[in-house]
Amino acid sequence: MSRDMTETVPQKEKLVHRTLTGLNPAIESLLAAAVGLIIGAILMLVWGYNPWKAYAALLQGAYGDAYGWASSAARGVPLILTALTFSICVRAGMFNIGAEGQVYMGAVAAVAVGYFTLPAGLHLIVGLIFAMIAGAIWSLGPAILRLTRGVNEVISTIMFNWIARFLTFYMVAFVLVDPLRGEKTISIPVSARFPVLIRGTDLSWSIFAAVAFAIVIYFVLWHTVIGYEVRAAGLNPSAARYGGIKSKRTMLMAFVLGGLGAGLAGATIVMGNPPTYAIISGMPQLMNAGFDGMAVAMVGRNHPIGILIAALFFGGLTAGGRTMQFTAGVPLEMVHVVEGVIVLTMAIPELIRVFRVMRSSWDRLMSVLRRRSA
Amino acid sequence: MTDKDRTNKNGSSRDYYLRAEGITKVYSNGTVALKEADLEIHSGEIIGLLGENGAGKTTFTKILSGLLPPTKGRVISPHGPVRFKSPREALSFGIGMVYQHFALVGTFNAAENVALSHERPFSPIQLTATKKKLEQLMEESGLRVPLDVPVEKLAVGEQQRVEILKVLSRDVDLLILDEPTSVLTPLEVDELFALLRKLKGAGKSIILITHKLKEVGSVTDRVVVLRHGEMVGDVPTAQASTEQLAQLMVGKALDEAGNAVELQDKGLPTAKRERANVRTEQPVLVVEGLTVKGNTGEIAVENLSFEVYGGEIFGVAGVEGNGQSELVEALTGLRSAEKGKASINGKNILGLDPREIYTMGVAHIPEDRWRLGLVLPFTLAENAILGVQRWDEFRGPMSFLRWGKVNQHVRELMKRFEIRAAGPNAPAKSLSGGNQQKLIVGRELAKDPHIVVASQPTRGLDIGAAQYIRDLLVEMRNKGRAILLVSADLDEVLALSDRIAIMYEGEFMTIASPKDLDRETIGMLMGGVAVKEGAV
Repeated sequence: MSRDMTETVPQKEKLVHRTLTGLNPAIESLLAAAVGLIIGAILMLVWGYNPWKAYAALLQGAYGDAYGWASSAARGVPLILTALTFSICVRAGMFNIGAEGQVYMGAVAAVAVGYFTLPAGLHLIVGLIFAMIAGAIWSLGPAILRLTRGVNEVISTIMFNWIARFLTFYMVAFVLVDPLRGEKTISIPVSARFPVLIRGTDLSWSIFAAVAFAIVIYFVLWHTVIGYEVRAAGLNPSAARYGGIKSKRTMLMAFVLGGLGAGLAGATIVMGNPPTYAIISGMPQLMNAGFDGMAVAMVGRNHPIGILIAALFFGGLTAGGRTMQFTAGVPLEMVHVVEGVIVLTMAIPELIRVFRVMRSSWDRLMSVLRRRSA
Repeated sequence: MTDKDRTNKNGSSRDYYLRAEGITKVYSNGTVALKEADLEIHSGEIIGLLGENGAGKTTFTKILSGLLPPTKGRVISPHGPVRFKSPREALSFGIGMVYQHFALVGTFNAAENVALSHERPFSPIQLTATKKKLEQLMEESGLRVPLDVPVEKLAVGEQQRVEILKVLSRDVDLLILDEPTSVLTPLEVDELFALLRKLKGAGKSIILITHKLKEVGSVTDRVVVLRHGEMVGDVPTAQASTEQLAQLMVGKALDEAGNAVELQDKGLPTAKRERANVRTEQPVLVVEGLTVKGNTGEIAVENLSFEVYGGEIFGVAGVEGNGQSELVEALTGLRSAEKGKASINGKNILGLDPREIYTMGVAHIPEDRWRLGLVLPFTLAENAILGVQRWDEFRGPMSFLRWGKVNQHVRELMKRFEIRAAGPNAPAKSLSGGNQQKLIVGRELAKDPHIVVASQPTRGLDIGAAQYIRDLLVEMRNKGRAILLVSADLDEVLALSDRIAIMYEGEFMTIASPKDLDRETIGMLMGGVAVKEGAV
């Protein structure tokens, strides 16, 4: 009998799907972006700014010319990588928000290569490997806690983010500090920097590292047995076990792959971002790279290709936001509002379910009132 | 007390507490769970609701307790018809149900759990009041539970008592218990029954859902038997013999011929029962003294020994929840065994993981296709390699998936097993239940296994798909493969099996040829009544 009950469940799900989640994921993301921009515009009107002027400036700054495209892309590079970190773990059935801390550790490891010399190119590659390994090692903490003690990865990664943060503060202030300029670490030597891709912009070859990583992740997830097992375990752990898949292994895999990505993100920020090539105290360049990546992953629907596009969009918001502040006088914070609304809008399919509940309680209330009056 | 007033007021002709009239329930997938069920419930009586799995017991009580609306029919009280929109409404009317699966918050203590079930808000003041009330209630009913211990630390029997207290604390007049004894030790069962008698003495009505014939005899006043959604019997317990009840429960077998007709009506392959003897000399699966624990740590399979030979279908019948699932899980690597041995073709399988067991020639058709058999959001192609994804056929160098081979494989499966789907890339959840099951069965049989472990292989399927899958199992048997068939569908087990084991509380009551078992005996064995004087 309970069997018959469950038989009806997918039909209910289907109803929800047909309303909104059934939309093409790409359309859903576009819709969310549009809603975000519209609500941003309303807020600007309320506060007395001219949204048309603001968005025109934003668009111009982000995608108006080669310079705009380049700086949007440059801002998107670390986001691609941290978004991948998040989405690999989502595919494996986990909510890993540790990219932030792993980015810090990657950046620290990348700066550390400044202490020795190697031929150009090789130096860069060694730095990248350092950073990726550092990110992966940092992800092992929460991974091991989850696998051996069952500690929820949300909590452990938040804690590891804070540890990473203060550890990096310490490293920047006391260990990696530039002896001549106390407000930053030593600079990464030219031999270990990403060459600038477009002269006069801050877009460097690091974009190729990010795109290559996205492609690798795509192939791992959809074209290897390991990726197949990771996705199966993420979608249905019981069926995965039935299929002979060891979910502990797939979880570890996802954590480590994600850590590699986040570490690489840290490296792209310090090795591929003119003009500093160092960590400045307070870490303004690193801060939030991991968290923004989660938004990018959501809008990119946890798919490497979607993430590439979403990262360019979010990079554009940041790049264009500066122009918007400059030309239209709208504070940069408005861009964060738009980003926030987009992320909230992405949760609308969930909201639909809430609406249904509200609707049924409304109906119940009305029927009670009708009975009263009758 | 209140119900006494009610009955007095209404005189003897309307001397009932609640009456169900013509209750019919059709689920949205077309399953008819109940057909025109009538029941009159009086105050101060214990009704035993007896029936096989899927007979409609739970559906009926869910309708009474407001969890499900009936498709047709009505429930009336002496004051007129009642219609509950939710369990909450039924509860405030005076009907409470204790489910088989408890709804308790593990980290809360008993008082907190009871308070939580009451009207909001959940406040410290209310908690103190609840505690006081519970203490009084425990005094009256003799039902004792520790109030300050988190319920997850309590024994299962105590947790059940918390559930009962939860319902009693709402001053119910009708208490419905869904298979309450399935999780209890014999001593706890005795305590529960003593409590039920006490409640009955206080004028409460009780409906006890069960499939255990012995229990019915020991505690109920009246037995109502459901079979395939119909009320086929309503007799005072004193006048009902165990044999009679068993017969009502599993259906009447007039004689051998009548039996066959019934089977043919169901579309079962009776013709194929006269099959060539292809049974192998050596058993494929040997199980010795196997003991397996269930999810809550109770012994689910106890000291079980049997063999399954090539070229035979070994059917395990019995009411669900008597250890069948745990047995299958232990044999397929999904659950670890406590004691005993199990081997396939002489090689041990206990302690191995599922993938290792598959490579030894085991195919597993799991009982729950959504939870175990399929990854629903995955495509047909992806599901077609679940369990064999690491076989060289599908895994290339550097662990690359050979998508070409996978797609070819799924196309072959679709053709060979008549799986109707949009294509290899259609998500599995877009398929009908029958096609989903064909996909699983096809995937498993395509492994060309030595033994097929098939658990509830046709549950929830339409007749056509069910018949098709049964034919496939018989075909495998005729090829000389061993088949372990576990099914709650007695007709299916009877029609397909060469040998049948009846499982009750983790043990086989008997292993016999279906020819040597009549339905009455099976019904009694399924209900845990040992058959004497060489009836088998």
